[in-house]
Amino acid sequence: MKVDRRSFLSFVIGGAAGTALSPLPWKLMDDSSIWSQMWPWTPVPPDGEVVYEASTCSLCPGGCGISVRKIDNRAVKIEGQKGHPINDGGMCMLGLSGLQLLYGPTRIKSPMKRIGERGEGKWQKISWEEAIGLVTKKLTDIRDKGEAHTVAAISGSDKGTVPALFKRFMTAVGSPNFMCTPSRQFADQLAVNKLFGGAGYTGFDLENADYILSFGSGIADGWGAPVRMFKVCSHWKEKNIPVVQIEPRLSNSAAKASRWLPINPGTEADLALGIAAVMLSKNWVEGDSVSGLRKWKKDLLAQFDLQQVAQITGVDADTIVELAKGFAKANRPLAICGRGKGQKAESLRETMAVYALNALADNLNQTGGMWAISESDYIDWPDVRPDKLASESLRQPRFDGAGSGQYAEARYLASRLAQGLEGDGPYPLQMLMVADANPCHELPDAKKVQAALAKIGFIVSFSSFQDETAAMADLLLPNHVYLERYEDVPVGAGLPQPAIGLTKPIVSPQFNTRHLGETLLALAKTMGGGIAEAFVWDDYESCLQETLADKWDTLMEDGVWVESDVDTVSNSVKLAAVNQPGVNAEGDPSSFPLLLVPYDSIRISSGYIGDAPFMIKTVADTVIKGKDGFVEINPQTASAAGLSDGDLATLTTPRGAAAVRVHCFEGIKPGVIAMVQGLGHTAYDGFLAGKGVNINELIGPVEDPSSGYDAAWGIRAKLAKA
Amino acid sequence: MKHEQQHNPPMKYGMAIDLDKCTGCGACMVACMAENNVPFKEDESNKLDSITWIRVYKLTNDKPYPDTDICYLPRPCQHCEGHGGHSPCVSVCPATATDYSRETGIVSQIYTRCFGCRYCMAACPYHARYFNWWDPVWPDGMEKYLNPDVSPRMRGVVEKCSFCFHRYQQAKDEAYLNGERRVSEAAYQTACTQACPTGAIVFGDLNNPDHRVHQIVQPDPKNGNKSRNPRAFRLLERLGTNTKVYYLSSREWVRRKGDNYLEHEKTGQVAKAHH
Amino acid sequence: MSTLDEKATEVMDDDAAHKKNGNDSGASGTIILFFIIGFAASMVVGWVVFPKLLYSQKEQPFNFNHALHVEEVSDGCESCHFFRDDGSFSGIPKLAQCTECHEETMGESEAEAVFVEQYVWKEREVPWLSYSRQPDCVFFSHAAHIKGAEMDCVTCHGHIGESESARPYEYNRITGYSRDIWGKNIAGFKKNSWDRMKMDDCAQCHKEAGLIHMSSVQTNRDACFVCHK
Repeated sequence: MKVDRRSFLSFVIGGAAGTALSPLPWKLMDDSSIWSQMWPWTPVPPDGEVVYEASTCSLCPGGCGISVRKIDNRAVKIEGQKGHPINDGGMCMLGLSGLQLLYGPTRIKSPMKRIGERGEGKWQKISWEEAIGLVTKKLTDIRDKGEAHTVAAISGSDKGTVPALFKRFMTAVGSPNFMCTPSRQFADQLAVNKLFGGAGYTGFDLENADYILSFGSGIADGWGAPVRMFKVCSHWKEKNIPVVQIEPRLSNSAAKASRWLPINPGTEADLALGIAAVMLSKNWVEGDSVSGLRKWKKDLLAQFDLQQVAQITGVDADTIVELAKGFAKANRPLAICGRGKGQKAESLRETMAVYALNALADNLNQTGGMWAISESDYIDWPDVRPDKLASESLRQPRFDGAGSGQYAEARYLASRLAQGLEGDGPYPLQMLMVADANPCHELPDAKKVQAALAKIGFIVSFSSFQDETAAMADLLLPNHVYLERYEDVPVGAGLPQPAIGLTKPIVSPQFNTRHLGETLLALAKTMGGGIAEAFVWDDYESCLQETLADKWDTLMEDGVWVESDVDTVSNSVKLAAVNQPGVNAEGDPSSFPLLLVPYDSIRISSGYIGDAPFMIKTVADTVIKGKDGFVEINPQTASAAGLSDGDLATLTTPRGAAAVRVHCFEGIKPGVIAMVQGLGHTAYDGFLAGKGVNINELIGPVEDPSSGYDAAWGIRAKLAKA
Repeated sequence: MKHEQQHNPPMKYGMAIDLDKCTGCGACMVACMAENNVPFKEDESNKLDSITWIRVYKLTNDKPYPDTDICYLPRPCQHCEGHGGHSPCVSVCPATATDYSRETGIVSQIYTRCFGCRYCMAACPYHARYFNWWDPVWPDGMEKYLNPDVSPRMRGVVEKCSFCFHRYQQAKDEAYLNGERRVSEAAYQTACTQACPTGAIVFGDLNNPDHRVHQIVQPDPKNGNKSRNPRAFRLLERLGTNTKVYYLSSREWVRRKGDNYLEHEKTGQVAKAHH
Repeated sequence: MSTLDEKATEVMDDDAAHKKNGNDSGASGTIILFFIIGFAASMVVGWVVFPKLLYSQKEQPFNFNHALHVEEVSDGCESCHFFRDDGSFSGIPKLAQCTECHEETMGESEAEAVFVEQYVWKEREVPWLSYSRQPDCVFFSHAAHIKGAEMDCVTCHGHIGESESARPYEYNRITGYSRDIWGKNIAGFKKNSWDRMKMDDCAQCHKEAGLIHMSSVQTNRDACFVCHK
C-alpha cells in the first residue's frame, strides 16, 4: 500500500467530513462567540440579598435623609429617604454620588507620612500608633516650650460633636487658634446677635411664605438645604407665589423665580434699604417688631433718594416701588440673602438690610416668617480646665485676630491666615491641623494661602480624600467617610426648625482609616495629664450617645430629630445704624473695566468635598471643555473686548491671572463676567484635577469693616484675547 | 403542561416631565448613571461620546438681555411607539438587539445581541442612544457599587435608557410572590423619577386611569396619543414617533422649542395621524 | 522530444502495467481506507476527545450530601432555597443559613469537619460552584416559574435533592459556563428536561406550555427584556 498524495488528501477529506459531522466546529463557533462577548475585564456584579439602610448625608450642610441599598452588605446605591422631614425622598447629585466618594481612588487609604519634599506626593504608609505618636510628640514638644498657641486648626464646621471635640482638644492643649472655613453662617450669627440681641441663627419658613425677595440666594443652586429648596421652588411654582431673584446673572434660581431682577453686583444692601425706605415713606408697613423704629425711619428717610438708589443698583425707580408694594402688601413676605450656596459671608450691612425687611413687615418667628433660632445647646460638656502650660498659652491673642480689637465681632477669620503667615500675625505658626476643610483651594487668594503654608513647619490633615491641602501636609490621619461612621449632623441651613440627623456606618471601613472622633480621643489619651482629663469618654460612640442623651433613641430609630418647640432669641429687633459701610470690589475700574463675580452650581461641589466623576460628567461643555474653564460674558461686552464665543482669553484680576475660554450668554449683565466656583483643582484624581480655573485664586479677601469677615462678592477684572 | 395564561390589558409606561418644576439640578442624570452601571471617563466634555442615558438640556428663549430666559429639559429615551410599535430604532436594528414590547410599551436594548453597527443611533431623532467607544473602566474599588440587576456593557455596544425595566422585573417578582398579576404604580418607578427632588418627573402606566401620569397627560388614543393637557407637548411630535415622554410647560417659547416650527406655524399643530 | 515522448510512454506503460497487474482496487482501496481513517479519527476527536479537552473539572469546596439534609428539614427544597420577601430567590444558601444548625459539628463526616473548621470558624462564605448559573445577560425569575407557573425544582435542576454527594463541577474552558448549561451531551441532545438550559430550551418549554405572549414587535414572541437584562 502506498501512502501518497491522494491518500493524504482522502485522509484530510475524511477528516473534514467527520469533523463536520461532529459537534466540534459548531460548538467551537458558538463558544468562541460567547467568549468574545465576555472579556474578563467586564465586571459581573455579584447578586445577593437586598437590604435598605437609612442614614444621613453629611456632604453639605443640608442633612438629607438617605436610604442606602445594599446587596449582601455591599453598598450599591444611595437613594433619598421617603418621609424624611428635610428631603422626603429627593436627592441632589452630590448625595447620589456618595458611593463614588466612598470607593473611589482619591481615598487616602491609611495613615501616611511625607517623604520627599512637600507637594511632591511621596508618602510612606505608617501605622496608627506611629501616626498618633508623631502628632503627640510634636504637640508635646511645642507645649513644653510654652508655645502651644502656635498650633492652629482649621475645621469645616464648628457644629456637632466632632468639631466640638476638636475645639476642646485645642483648648486643652492650650491654643486659642481653632478656626472654621468661611461661610455665611457666621455673618448670619453676627446679624442675629446685633438685631435680636442674643446668640442664634436664622431659619425661614419658606414653604408658607407668599412673597419672596431673594438677594442672590441660590434657591435652585444650593442655598440652605438644597433638596428642601428645590421642593420649595416647585411648591412656589405650583402656588404661583411671586419670587423675585435679585442678581446680575440669570442663574438656575433666577430661571425658577417668577421674576429675574438684574442688579449691579454688590449693591444688594442699597436695594434692600431702598425698598425699606419706600415701604416706610408710604406707610405700607407698621414695623411693630422694630424697637426704636421712629429714629431709624427718620435716619433712613433723611438720606434716602429713590433716583440715587436706582442709579446705584441699576434697578429702575418704578420697579423698586413695585417691589416695595408687593413685599408690604403680602401676608407673609420673606427676604433672604447669602449669595449662591451661602458659602461666603456677605457684609453685615447687607445682612441687616435684608433682615430688616422681614422685621419691618412684622414677619418674625411665625408661620411663613423669618425665625431667630437660639443656638442649640445639646452639646453640654463640662468646661475644659486647662493645665498650667495651656492656661499660659490661651492668654495669647488669636492668630487670626478674631474676637478682639477691630475684629471683636468675628469668631473665626481663616481668610486672614495667609497674610498672618506672611508677617502680619502676632506670632509664627508651628503646626496646623486640618479637618473637613480644604483651605488651599477654598480660601480666597488660594495661591497665596498655599504658598504661605510653607511657613508652617508641621501640617496634619485628617482628610479622607487626597485634596490640595492633604497634598501639602506632612502627616495624613484619614477620617472615615460619612458612610463608615456614626456622627451627629446638626442641621441649620435655613430650616425654620433645628434638626439633628444621625449618620450610621452603612459599610465597614473600606480602608485603614479611623473616625476623627476616635483619633482625637486617642491623641488626648496619649498626651496625658490635663489634656486627657478633659476627655472623659472611652470611645467616640459613648461620647456621642451620652451627648445626644434623650434624643439618642429617636435618632437611632428615625435617623433624625426635629425640634418642635423652637426656642427663639427674641421677637423684637433693633436695627443697625443706617450708614454702615459696605464692601467694594478690589481693583481700579480704569485698568480693570469688568466685574468678575463667582457663581455656584449644584453640579459642582465647591467646599471641602470635590466633585465625584458622575457629577463632573454632567457639567456642560460651556463650563468645561477639555481642561479649559469658561467665563460667562454678555455678547455685547464680549464684542467690545474683541472676543467671540469659544475664544481663548486671559482673565486678569489684581490677585492673579488665568487662561479661560469665553462663553457668550445673554443672561448676564453687560460689564459683568461670571465664573463657577469649585473647579481648578490640582489634587484629587484625573476625573477632577486640571479642569477649569479656581476662582479663589483670582479673588482675594475684602474685609467687612463691621466684622472683619471676608465679604468679597467679586473683583474687578479684565479680559484679553489670548 | 398547559397553563391558562392570564393576559393583562396592555400597559404603556410613560413619563410626564413638568418643565416648570425642573430646576436643572441633574439629580436624575446621576441617579440613572448610578442605577444602571453607566461608565465614565476622565474627559466627558465631548458630549457626543459622553454617555448619559437621561440628559438635561438647557434651552434658552434666544432673547437678548434682560429678557433672556432659560429652561431645563431632561431627555430620557422617549420609547417611541410610532405606529403599532415601530420605533425608528427598532425598525432599523439588523440584530434584533432592540425591541418594542406591546405589553409594556418599553423599548428594550439587549447588549449581547448588539454588534455595534449604530444604525439605531442614526435613526433616533432624539440622540437618546449612546455607543461604548471604549471598554468601561471602573477605577480600582469602584466596581463595588455596580448594580447586579443591570448588565455592565463592553465596548462596541449601544446603550440607552431602559425605563429601568430591571425594576419592573423585580416588581413582578414581588407581585408573583404575593399572588398578584399586575405591578402597582408605587412598585415600579424609575431611578430618575425617584431621585427628582421637585417631583418634576412622573412615571407610570399611561393606559391606567389610576396612575398619576395618565391623569396629568390624558393621552387621546384617537389623536395619535396627543395629550389633552394644554401645557403638554412631545418632542418632535410631528415626526410621528408617538413618544411616551410628555413635557409640560406654561411657557409658550418652551413648547415651541419642542419641534422645528417655522415662523408661521402654530405651536402644537400636529398633522393628522396617517395610516 | 523523442526522449520525453519515450518517458511519457514509459509512465503510461507503467500505469498500464499497474492496471494490468490488477492493483486498481488496491489504489482506490487505499483512498477509501484513508478516508475512513480520517473520518473515524475526526469523529473520535470531535465526539470523544473534544469534550474531554473542552470541559474542565473542579471539585466543590467539600462534599455536600443533599439526601441527608432533605431528610432533616421539614419543607424540602424550600427549607434552604427560599423566596425572600421582595420576591427574589435566595439561591445557594449563605453561611448564615447553614450555621443555624451547624455552629458546631453535628455528625462525624470529614466533609462537615472541613466546613466547620475552614468556613464557620473563619466566618468565610463557602465558594460553591453553581451548576445552573446563567450568563450575566439572563434575568431568570424563580417567582414567575415557581409561584406563577407552579413548577417543581426537578424539572430544571434534576434530582439533585436525592444526591448523596456533590458531583464535580464541569465547566467549559472557553466560555467559563457550567456544563449543565449546554448539556452533558456534547451534541446538545437531551433526555431529560434538566439536561440542557440554553435559551432555546426555555423557549421550547414555553411553547409546549402555550405561553408565548406576542408582545415583541420584532419577533411576535415575548419581549426580550422579560428574560434579559
